[in-house]
Amino acid sequence: MTDSDSVDPGGPATPGGPADPGRAGDPRPGPGAGAGPAKRTTASDRFLRLLTVVPWIAAQDGPRLEEVCERFGMTRKQLLDDLQIIPLVGLPPYTPDTLIDVTIEGDRVWLRFADVFARPLQLTPDQGLALVAAGAAWRELPGADPEGPLATALDKVAGVLGVDPGDAVSVALGDTRPGLLDSLRRAAAEHRRVRIDYYAYSRDERTTREVDPYALFADEGAWYVRGHCHMAGGERLFRIDRIYDVDVLDTRFTPPPAAATPADGEVFTPGPEVARVTLELAPSARWVIETYPVDAVDERDDGSLRVRLAVSAQPWLARLLVRLGPDARVVEADDEALLHAGADAARRVLARYEREDGDGPRPR
Amino acid sequence: MSAAKLERLLNLTALLLTTPRPLTAQEIRERLDAYPGDLAAFRRAFERDKDALRAMGFPLEMAEVPGREQPIDGYRIPKDRYYLRDPGLTPEELAALRLAASVVRLEGTSAREGLLKLGGLVGDADGEPGLAVAALPGGPDLGPLFGAIAAQTPVRFTYRGEQRRVDPYRLDYQRGRWYLTGFDHLRTAERLFRLDRFESRIDALTGPRFERPSTAVPGGAIEPWQLGEGQPVEALVLVDAPQAPWIAQHLGPDAVREERFDGSVVVAMAVTNRDNLRSFVLGFLDHAEVLAPPELREDVIAWVRAMARAEAGTAP
Repeated sequence: MTDSDSVDPGGPATPGGPADPGRAGDPRPGPGAGAGPAKRTTASDRFLRLLTVVPWIAAQDGPRLEEVCERFGMTRKQLLDDLQIIPLVGLPPYTPDTLIDVTIEGDRVWLRFADVFARPLQLTPDQGLALVAAGAAWRELPGADPEGPLATALDKVAGVLGVDPGDAVSVALGDTRPGLLDSLRRAAAEHRRVRIDYYAYSRDERTTREVDPYALFADEGAWYVRGHCHMAGGERLFRIDRIYDVDVLDTRFTPPPAAATPADGEVFTPGPEVARVTLELAPSARWVIETYPVDAVDERDDGSLRVRLAVSAQPWLARLLVRLGPDARVVEADDEALLHAGADAARRVLARYEREDGDGPRPR
Repeated sequence: MSAAKLERLLNLTALLLTTPRPLTAQEIRERLDAYPGDLAAFRRAFERDKDALRAMGFPLEMAEVPGREQPIDGYRIPKDRYYLRDPGLTPEELAALRLAASVVRLEGTSAREGLLKLGGLVGDADGEPGLAVAALPGGPDLGPLFGAIAAQTPVRFTYRGEQRRVDPYRLDYQRGRWYLTGFDHLRTAERLFRLDRFESRIDALTGPRFERPSTAVPGGAIEPWQLGEGQPVEALVLVDAPQAPWIAQHLGPDAVREERFDGSVVVAMAVTNRDNLRSFVLGFLDHAEVLAPPELREDVIAWVRAMARAEAGTAP
């Protein structure tokens, strides 16, 4: 049912996984764990909050003010201000028996005659999707409990929204092997060093290294762990689907203060010490500039592109060029070897296929 | 919003929710007794209130008031479109949802407001230290598309230079992108669309509910080598030991046909797009090899041979 007509076939899937920045192992900060600054309450926020809080209080038997505040994320003053307005709300003819009755006794609050607001306003599609997508993402994680409270909550919420949770939204955060994500998460939580067997995609080499894992996150379809790499002697980012094995060690580490971690949404910019190449790309290779950070793009009328980008390691460029074939040409490079990276790699691949003792049919 | 306006909006909402028939602007003015006396000032204030309610997503309906000699429109808020049905979440379920929503965040949306409506913030959002954080890219069309999927109503948008009318079935987040699967009336077939390739905002169309296919809609696995028409061809690909665990994990255990002594694996892939298969396999450089069928193997060989020759001739 998929369709080359509707989806761009030139997508950048790579054996390293999707949308590969070619830079794992480099200090590319990902989205942080910060919750962001609290949003200022606007007037319509206050109106909507009232329509949400009133039904809940009315359905309880005198909840404590403190509990209401905690549950709805309000200050005591906000709640008391809102409770001043409520007794003025009701139905014509606005006599005492048709207005909402507010009773505050000690630290508890009761609402009566609030039937018109017996239920909150329906979820907006955005709110519904935010919850269903979060639930769907968790359900896909290895080790998720299909009978657990999140699964049943998701079923209930989807039922209210009128969708089948398994058939309306799916979220694949990234490949992970069972146990791996959990081990890393536990190590990060307990501040314990790990030893990982890691395949560095951009350098095309497999290494064992010790890492202090600071935080885990998923971005662009892959999971990452950010931490201090003792082999490289600095902070690095590792793609979890390229970690083949992890040992959680007994060594503890002290995580850096939160202020030292990069802010949300910052994108890794390769420094001037990293070699650059200039490529000429056919229009069909446009996905390159949508996938990798580029220094400069010059677009021609016929849709072809001249692009300058950073090359963190030669195998990364070789891969890109071999995949693009006639759609790309290196026109300039800081490093002579990069000029031939594509052809050299093509010859190596060809040699494999032409190997006498190779698998499959022999060359003609 | 002043306290007076807040009070007026609350009373207006209550009035429109409980009225058995649509109320005209004049009736609302008389019953509510909260608007300015001057007619022009009332009209301005009432217009602003209606806009405010609609902007906040209230299902404010306009319909002709029955039994009038002169046709006149009135307003009401249908209860069934306003009230959230109670899903009856337990405290554990609310806490689990809160935790999930604090970890997986969809940009531009507020799971928090949704949680408040479902019963409030229960449990501890920071309950699991070291917890992974995932941010999903958002977009202005995601919410409306989800709404249309739930309501089973069609949408219209421009894609690849053509206007499409689509019955939306499902949203998939794959490899960092959102995809929509639905029935495309232009092609009269089920199609897959990449949301970041939409060339217009979506129009949510009204009209009768469409029927979803009775079987589950396959979304999900959107691998580049499957993005083509026609019968899939099974390709066998040998992947060397260093990347064998990755490919086995990515394709799943069913795809692994052979595990060799040297640690390499042979995997099977159902291919409908040869260009994308070649591109994928070449991403392994000389650490992978198409074994079968012969035509796919020849395709890779011809590709790298042409490249090796072309560049040999042009190298400075």
